[in-house]
Amino acid sequence: MARPRHRSQRAVREPAPVRAPEHPRGSLDPLEIVLIAFRSLRSNLMRSALTTLGVVIGVAAVVALTAAGSGVNASVTERITSLGSNLLTITGAGRQAGNRVRGAPPNSVTLADAQAIQALDDPRIQGIAPQVQINLAVQHGANTSYATVVGTWPDYQSVRNTTVSEGTFFTQADDNADRLVAVLGYQVAQDLFGGSQRALGQSVLINDLAFDVIGVLPDKGNTGFMSPNSQVLIPLTTFVTRVHRDSPTGTPTMSAVYVQGSSASALSGLQQDLTTLIASRHRQTDPTNYDFRILNQADQLATLNSVTGTLTLFLGSIAGISLLVGGIGIMNIMLVSVTERTREIGVRKALGAKPRDILAQFLLEATMLSVGGGVLGILVGIGLGGIAGHALSVPSRIMPQSIVIAFVFAAAVGIFFGLYPAQRAARLDPVESLRYE
Amino acid sequence: MAPDVVSLDAVRKAYRLADQPFWALKGVTFTVTAGEMMALMGPSGSGKTTLMNIIGLLDSPTDGRYRLNGEDVSHLSEFDRAVLRNRTIGFVFQAFHLLPRLSVVENVETPLTYGGYPRRARRRRALEMLDRVGLADKAGTLPATLSGGERQRVAVARALATSPTLLLADEPTGNLDTRTGNEIIALFHQLNNEGATIMVVTHEPDIAEQTARTVRVRDGLMEADEKHVAVRPAPASAQDDAGADRRDHGAS
Repeated sequence: MARPRHRSQRAVREPAPVRAPEHPRGSLDPLEIVLIAFRSLRSNLMRSALTTLGVVIGVAAVVALTAAGSGVNASVTERITSLGSNLLTITGAGRQAGNRVRGAPPNSVTLADAQAIQALDDPRIQGIAPQVQINLAVQHGANTSYATVVGTWPDYQSVRNTTVSEGTFFTQADDNADRLVAVLGYQVAQDLFGGSQRALGQSVLINDLAFDVIGVLPDKGNTGFMSPNSQVLIPLTTFVTRVHRDSPTGTPTMSAVYVQGSSASALSGLQQDLTTLIASRHRQTDPTNYDFRILNQADQLATLNSVTGTLTLFLGSIAGISLLVGGIGIMNIMLVSVTERTREIGVRKALGAKPRDILAQFLLEATMLSVGGGVLGILVGIGLGGIAGHALSVPSRIMPQSIVIAFVFAAAVGIFFGLYPAQRAARLDPVESLRYE
Repeated sequence: MAPDVVSLDAVRKAYRLADQPFWALKGVTFTVTAGEMMALMGPSGSGKTTLMNIIGLLDSPTDGRYRLNGEDVSHLSEFDRAVLRNRTIGFVFQAFHLLPRLSVVENVETPLTYGGYPRRARRRRALEMLDRVGLADKAGTLPATLSGGERQRVAVARALATSPTLLLADEPTGNLDTRTGNEIIALFHQLNNEGATIMVVTHEPDIAEQTARTVRVRDGLMEADEKHVAVRPAPASAQDDAGADRRDHGAS
């Protein structure tokens, strides 16, 4: 199709008193479409704001909920690793670490097992801490504190990531000589002495035995029964020979043996070797029914992460649905707007707007609404995530990828739901739309 | 001999009504030469609006040939019609059809914007056109603050902005009282004297009398093509003393 020769009458009579400048481009500058769309949104500010609100809520929900989800994940992971990293936990079958010793079957994990592991002298093993425990009253003068008395090896410090805040931890020498020394949990020291410093050098009565307090653990934040704050740590040998003798067979059973690997990657191989070792020591033949079990911390974390990851995805998807609803809101308003502005569209077409100019204008309006909503929503979401984190005392972690995804999704929603109304506008017949009242 | 701006040759237009073609135009042939000022008359239903839409490139003929400035534009795409409309046709509507949220000067700029003129050239040209219709001082105001006559003058300025080869006015005085209407017609005469080609679509004989040529259509056919001496309107004050601009007609 030949382009119109719009200046063909140049030689004859001037059609208008002042000549317009030559057409430099002949088509609408993209920036002008942006301006037209922006002004049109601004001129109906209330409606634009309300339409945007749907997207703001959707994006804010995505950002805040995924932040909460990943915050929960991070906090649980941190709690687990705070109890020691690269851990293998060996317990009797059917029982978890922390169960009582009393009534344990004679063939569950024993001190002898721990000693056998120690005898391996495996370079992949960084530390071994067998643990046996019992709940007892701990007394000083008239004060009594009910505590979990734990017998363990000095390696407990590194294996369970536990250091004293006051004094010292007991040593191998203390264990060998089954000395009556104790490291008190923070709460026990509070209950008995009213402070960690004051407890040092004092003595406490456990099972009518006077223990010297040589160290106090820092406040671990938790209180109540079974918490690290309510522990009293004593040498394992002291525990099994003087505090609680429960071993008819001569080798005391342990509630758990903690083995710390040198690295996370060594953990899996170490787990297999220890399984073989203990199975042969226990004369176990059926791998599906061993009388002990070894938990791998890396596996636990992986399982946990997959659970919280699913949770985060689930929360994010629900929020995503609200974003979709926001997009439908945009389409709804854009359709109303196209109908309302039928005559404006007709006038613009009569003045030379091409269908694609009208399409671009309405598409941009929808996209500006959704992108504006996306930006606002991200800000609101970050704020909400912070507030929710404070309220639930779960640190919320804003995930950068959730911000990117929410933003891109919001923009896509605007384009997708804006396209249909914009096409309707672009296809309007100029004759019909000029007549529209 | 001035060249033809509009040249219609047996132009027909059918609409589909209940699966029956309805012929709004049954073969119209006439030409408009450059510098002419003419009236297109006809009762409602005569096909004059359809004819105007085709001449104004808002619509395409079903068959027949329409040449604009010597070029066959009978079967252009909507895109090409939009480009050509922008460059060659200036519309003046009965209801003014100013964009209510744009200022007066922005309204005049709109066809230049779609024509891709740079910002500064656009503004300069629009202000020139406003000055031309005597409304340079209203450039920054919104159309809603103007009287009907002023609005129509803004519309004329807008129509002239791209210096079109044809000014197409559809009942330009229909929403105005007699005096303001005559002012608009007087403005048309002035523009015509300066060389503009103008077609006024009207059903008012008063308006048609003021042009040198009247084409009458009826039932989709050209009924008459009369050339006559234009009767210029008397000075405005003598016509209608009470005729202040009717602001209430200002649906823009």
